[in-house]
Order: sequence, then structure tokens, then C-alpha cells
Amino acid sequence: MQQRTIFAVTAILVAFMLICGCTGTTSDQTPGEKQQLRIATTTSLYDTKLLDHLTPIFEEKYNAELIIVSGGTGKAIEYGQRGDVDVLMVHDRAREDAFLADGYGTNRRVFAYNYFIIIGPESDPAGIKGMDPEQAFTTIREKGMAGENVVFVSRGDASGTHSKEQAIWKAAGFNYSTDIQGSGSWYQEAGTGMGATIAMANEKQAYALSDIGTFLAYKGDVDLVALVDEGDALLNVYCAMQINPEKYPDTNTALAKDWINFLISDEIQQEIASFGVEEYGQPLFYAAQNDWEKIGVPQAEVKDPVL
Amino acid sequence: MIELEGVRKSFDGKEVLAGVSARIERGEIFAVIGPSGSGKSTLLRLIDLLDTPTGGAIRINGVDIHANREESHRVQRMMGMVFQKPAVFNTTVAENIAVGLRFRGIKEAAIKAKVEEALAVVGLAGYEERRARTLSGGEMQRVALARAMVIEPEILLMDEPTANLDPVSVEKIEELVVRINRDLGTTIVFSTHDMYQGQRLAHLIGVLMNGRFAQVGTPREVFTHPASREVARFVGIENIIDGVVVASNGTCAVDAGGVRIRTRSPLTPEELVSLCIRSEDLRVTPAGEATTAPGKNTLPGIVTSIVPRGPFSRVTVDCGITLSSILSWKVVDNLGIREGSHVAVSFAEESVHVVRRG
Amino acid sequence: MYEIIEGFLEALRLIITLDPDVMAISLRSIIVSFTATIFASLIAVPLGGVIYFGSFPGKKSLINLIQTLYSLPTVIVGLLIFLLLSRVGPFGFLRLLFTPTAMIIAQTVLILPIMIGLTISALSGVDPIIRDTLRSLGATRFQLLANTMKEAKFAILAAVALGFGRAISEVGAAILVGGNIMASSFSSSTRVLTTAISLETSMGNISQSIALGIVLLAIALVVNFVITTVQHR
Repeated sequence: MQQRTIFAVTAILVAFMLICGCTGTTSDQTPGEKQQLRIATTTSLYDTKLLDHLTPIFEEKYNAELIIVSGGTGKAIEYGQRGDVDVLMVHDRAREDAFLADGYGTNRRVFAYNYFIIIGPESDPAGIKGMDPEQAFTTIREKGMAGENVVFVSRGDASGTHSKEQAIWKAAGFNYSTDIQGSGSWYQEAGTGMGATIAMANEKQAYALSDIGTFLAYKGDVDLVALVDEGDALLNVYCAMQINPEKYPDTNTALAKDWINFLISDEIQQEIASFGVEEYGQPLFYAAQNDWEKIGVPQAEVKDPVL
Repeated sequence: MIELEGVRKSFDGKEVLAGVSARIERGEIFAVIGPSGSGKSTLLRLIDLLDTPTGGAIRINGVDIHANREESHRVQRMMGMVFQKPAVFNTTVAENIAVGLRFRGIKEAAIKAKVEEALAVVGLAGYEERRARTLSGGEMQRVALARAMVIEPEILLMDEPTANLDPVSVEKIEELVVRINRDLGTTIVFSTHDMYQGQRLAHLIGVLMNGRFAQVGTPREVFTHPASREVARFVGIENIIDGVVVASNGTCAVDAGGVRIRTRSPLTPEELVSLCIRSEDLRVTPAGEATTAPGKNTLPGIVTSIVPRGPFSRVTVDCGITLSSILSWKVVDNLGIREGSHVAVSFAEESVHVVRRG
Repeated sequence: MYEIIEGFLEALRLIITLDPDVMAISLRSIIVSFTATIFASLIAVPLGGVIYFGSFPGKKSLINLIQTLYSLPTVIVGLLIFLLLSRVGPFGFLRLLFTPTAMIIAQTVLILPIMIGLTISALSGVDPIIRDTLRSLGATRFQLLANTMKEAKFAILAAVALGFGRAISEVGAAILVGGNIMASSFSSSTRVLTTAISLETSMGNISQSIALGIVLLAIALVVNFVITTVQHR
């Protein structure tokens, strides 16, 4: 009967699907089988494709498989707190400190840094080109609230970039929740990733704070330019840390340590320093290796391998 | 074989069957006739165990069929039912007929043979692979009949089986009903609102009115001696006159609105009665030609209307009471009867059927 | 406008040259949603039958609830399954988070209400006289259910098609429980068409997004075509 054959074919397909679809369990420690390392990171880092570049090198060397999920910094930290990953890679010093203090993370190492930039329309209606970051922010706010055609688009999503933005507002002497948020139509919160925020700023011909990596990736597609790219306040430091095995004993500790050490190894530090030159004419990151003083972190975090 | 004992059924507080009682013998054809909505379908559904009565009992071979689950299931398997709407499944004719056999776990080879046989009986040989939903109404109903019969039921129930069919199909189905009953001895209970169908096919008729059997009897009894006014009206007696018994000694005299009518029924004076006279029993003659005779009622009157009815005419006469007769056109012409003509209406005493009122 | 045309052309190129990433993502979408649909059908169709034919207190409320869940937002289902499968959650020990299996589970849960509800609708659409006929032919409860389903099979099949459509086009649950991972092995990755479109769009890769969008529509089209053909046999 026709119905019988259809049923049989479906049953076989189902069996096939189940075999395909149900694989993907995590760290199996059987020797010979590939081990998996789960990493949570921010979209800022992920979207630069640095990790895609480094992954094959690591995977071959250690016969492993990297499972990388990305989201806003807040989301990545959440994954870390819930023990759903083995390694956390973010760029928000303050929140990282809290994470370590609460015992969720351990063995933090800084492996790269770059600078945030304030981008805006070429016409620069607020005239902030070349200013200090705090001064630029103050000017934008002033002009924006005065009703001039000045708009600032914020990440508004509790990401590392957003935290950095808030830090700059604070350094400029403002109370974020009272003076900035909701203070006028000049300040808009996108609530989305870096790329989409840049696109939105482009649409509105507005100002925004962006990491250099994402901006370079979008540069050709938008009419915005980098107006302020110097100042300590714009420092963007990336770290990687293990999820604490004391809190979550079944994380893949060995491979996590391997990955972190891999990142700060000489060979990979050089890879990082040269990443992006071919495509954008300038590197997207600086290797942290020798610049611990410049970026204000202990030497150990940059140099010492995890044991 | 089937005993209905005071069967009651209510739906949402509304009582549809208010105590139905009857006795159907094995091998009989029993017709349930009654006006629309009188509960005929409900009664059949109760017998087929598709519903449960709210009161009373239905016994088959002495056993209450609603008493327990297993009994019900066993009994249901020896009954077949055909519904008013042809309910065929969306598959082939052969598959339709085979459904009941499959439920009983009959082997494939046997199924094939039985289906073929059943189709032959209902006159649809060779229809096995046709899609059942593409057949005409009459053909679908015959498939439904074959489907019910192929499981060899002892009782066949049919709920207004020919209600929506063309006359040719009706005839075919009626033929099959008679044949099935005659050749296989199947007890058949069917409902119909066509009283003539009941008359044609049934051994026994139950007239269902107001939730009860107003009368249970042979076709002749029901049609010529209706048990009540309502039954009389339902079986098509046009002349029903109310009156009071005046005198009684062998022949009875009934005073009906001033007019005196003599009948042959034994009654007591002062009884309230209804007189039922069939139109066919009334003769109309021009006033001058009428003759009186013993054993005959003759009433003078004036023709109030002549309404055509097929090849006949319904002649209504006011004799103090309203009587109507059926006469052929020819007779009407020959007698020169017109509206306003003075005529005499005559009928035998025996043709007056008396029914008690109140 | 130019951007759209450019993107469209690039999309065709990716499809025609069988770009490996696009192929892998598409295949995964199909496998995940297809499996979810099968699982959901195996649960929903019999369950729908049992609910329809059953008589129990609260039956109406249950059906009402099921119909309310039709519009269950996908992110809520995603969040729920995420919380259940997360390592700190009750089923964390299964280690299913960020795997295709988690996505299958989420999609199955997502389309269950709609498939149960539509099965019940399909069965209600069968003339009650069919039910009477089956019962009078002596059907057991199971035979009654099975045969009524046969009568309703077109409508039930339509429900299955709808379920698949909803599963393959949802994004919220897939991204929450899957993580939109592109790993080096096929079976460890969880990126599907919808989540990939979301990502590519947010990164500004319009042509890639359009390509994936075309593939998604094409799949939906093919599935519908197959279902309608089967229905007309």
C-alpha cells in the first residue's frame, strides 16, 4: 500500500535525523575523541572574526573543538555565572573584578587591547573632532539638549561598550541615570549589537561610541568617521578567564587553561598584533604582551601562564 | 425479540421520549412513523446503543442492553444501522464495506469474498474500486446498506433511509429491505415520515407522537382504525369531526355540531368522541338524486370549494359540518357539481371510525 | 534599491556555487525542524484524538488553553527551555544546552500547542455521523479514534505542514537554547537559517542574509508543495 511505503521511508528518515540531530553532547573525556571547549564572549570581540582566525590553529594543536557563543557582555557573563561555558572572554574590567570576587571566575589573563572611538557624521555638527573623550561627550550633550541637530546613539544593552560609555559620562561629571538617560531625544538607546548600533547611527547621522574592530568592518558601508580616538578613557582591554572549577567542577579545566595560555603565548600574541592589517590597512588589536603598564594591569596577568 | 419498556430520553431537560413501549418479534419489519422531530431517530439510536435512555429499558432476547459494557458491545455487534444521511468514508466502496469486517478481525481473503457478495445483493456489483464519495445519493445509501448487512446482523436499523433519495432509488432500497427480511430473516426496524412507506413495507407500525407510541398495530389497523385523533390526522384521514354520543342501541348516534351521524361503534351516551371518515368513503351526489337508505348517512349541503389534486379534485361540502371527498374530474363534470351546488354527501355507517376524546 | 539587487545577485551566486556554509546551515535547519515536527506529531496527533474523544471535567478549558498557547512567543519558549537545560537548571546534568538537540526540544515544545489544537479542529470537522457509523459497526475506542483520524487526514496533514513552517521560521528559541554556534564540526554547530540571518544582518552582510532568506523560503515552498501533492492523491 502506498501509505505503508511512505510510513517506512519516514521512519528511516526519522532514525537518520535522530542520529544526526542528537549528537552534540559536551565534554566527553574519552581519549582519541575530540574534546570540546565552550567559550562565551562578547559580540564586539566575536564580530571582528579574530576568534575565527585563531580557532583552527588551536583546534589542530590540541585536537579540540571550540564551541563559541556570543552575546552582549551582560549575556556572556550570565552564561559564565550559570556554568554553561568553560571560558569567559569579555572587556569590562569592573564587572570582571566582581565576577572574580564572587568566585565564578579564576585565572584571568589579558591578551589584547584596543581603543574605543567616538564616531560621527563627517560634517561633525557638534564640532568634537580631536577633543578629549570627556569633553566631546559634554559638548554632544550640550548641543543635543539645545536642540541642534546633534544625536547620540548608545548601545543601551549592558554590554562592555555600554559600560565604557557610562564610565566616560561619569568621568565627565554626569549622573548617567538622571542626566543622560531619557534626558531628551538627542540620546537614543539602541538596545542591540555594535554593528546594528553603527548602522542606526548612520541612518540618523548621529554620534556613537564604537570599538575599532567593528567600525573598521563597517567603514566602507557607512558615512561615519572616527572623530575622537585618543584618551585613556577609551582604552578597551580584553581578557580571558576560566570558569571556576570550584563552583562548577565539571567544566573542562585542562582545555580552558590550554586556551588561555595559548592566547598569551608569543606566537599567538604576534598573530593578534597583525590581525586585520591585510584587510583594513591597520591592525584591529594590540598585543597585550608588553604593554601591561600602559593598559594598567598587573604584569602577571599578561605574562604568567596558568598552571 | 426486542422489547421497549417505557423508554424515556431527555436532552438538556427537554423530554423527547416519554415512555415508549412496544414488542418487536424476530423476523418482523417494524416501522416507526411519526411527524418530524417526534423522536424517531432518537429511539433508533437508543436501540443501536449510540445513546443511553434516561429511563425505562430496552431488552433484546430478554437482556437489558444498556445494563453493562460488555453486554452492550456484544449486542451492538449483532446490529447494523443505516442513517438518513449517506455516511460513507472517504475511501473506496470496497474499503467502506470492509470496515465492519475489519473491526471483527476477519481475514483479508474472506473480506474480499463477502464484499463482492454484498455488492451483488444491493445491485452494485463491480463498484469495488470506485471512490464512495463520488456516487449518487441512492448508490451511497446502498453501499451503506451493504456495509451494514455484510456483518450479518440479526437486527437491521434504518433511520429514514430513503428520506433524501429520488423515487427510483427509494424503490430499489425498499425492494432490498423486503428481500433482506424475506431471505435472511433479519429483523428490521426502520423509521420514516412517509406513512405510505410504512404501510408498504412493515408488518407492524408504531406511531410515535408526543414521545410515546400513540398506536402500535398492523398497517390496516393503523390506517382504518386510528387509536386517536392525532393518529387519525397523521395517517391522512381528512374528515375528523368532534361530537357527543346521543343514543346507543346497536347503532350509535352522534351529535356533531347539530348534525346527527349514525355509526356502528359500541359507545355510551354522553361520551365525547371524534369521528374519522376517509375522503374515499364519502360519495357526493347532486341534491335531487340523493337517496337515503338504512345503514347509510346522508347529509345535504352546499359545495364550498373544489380544489384540484392531481387527476382528482377535493370537493369540500358544508353540511353543517365540513366534509371533503375526493372525486375524479370526470365524475365532477358528469355530476355537474360546482361551487355553490346543492349536493348530498353519503357514507356508510361502518366507514365512520370513532375515537374517544379526552 | 541598488543594495537589494546587489544582495540578491550575490545570494544567487552563493546558492548556485553551493557555498559550504550556506549548505551546512540549510541542512541543519531542515534536520532540526523536521525532527521537531516528527516528534511533535507523534505526541500531538494521538493526544489531540484522546482529548477530542474524551469527556472529562475541564475539557473546554483545556482546549481554550491550548488555543491560547498558539501565540506563545518563541522567546518565552526559548527562555523556558534555556532555564531548564542550563547547568544550574533541573536538567543541566543532561548537558544539552547549546546543542542541536536542545533546539529540537525547544521547537517541539513550541509547535505542540498548534498541532494539538489543529488536530482537535480537524477531528471536529469530521461529520458526527461518521462517528455514529463507526460505533454502530462495532468499533472499539481505539478503532473509533484511528478511523476518524483517517477521515480527517488531510486536515491533520495541513496541521503538520503548519507546524513545520512555524518551527523552521522561528528565531527566538533557536538563538537562546542553541547559541548560534558555528563550530568546526557539523554536529556541534547550532547555527540555522533564521539565527544566521539575524547574525549576518546585524553584522551588515546583506547579501549573505538575502541568500539565507531565499533558501528558507524555498524550503517552505517545497514542503508545502509536497504536502499538497500528497493530499491530492
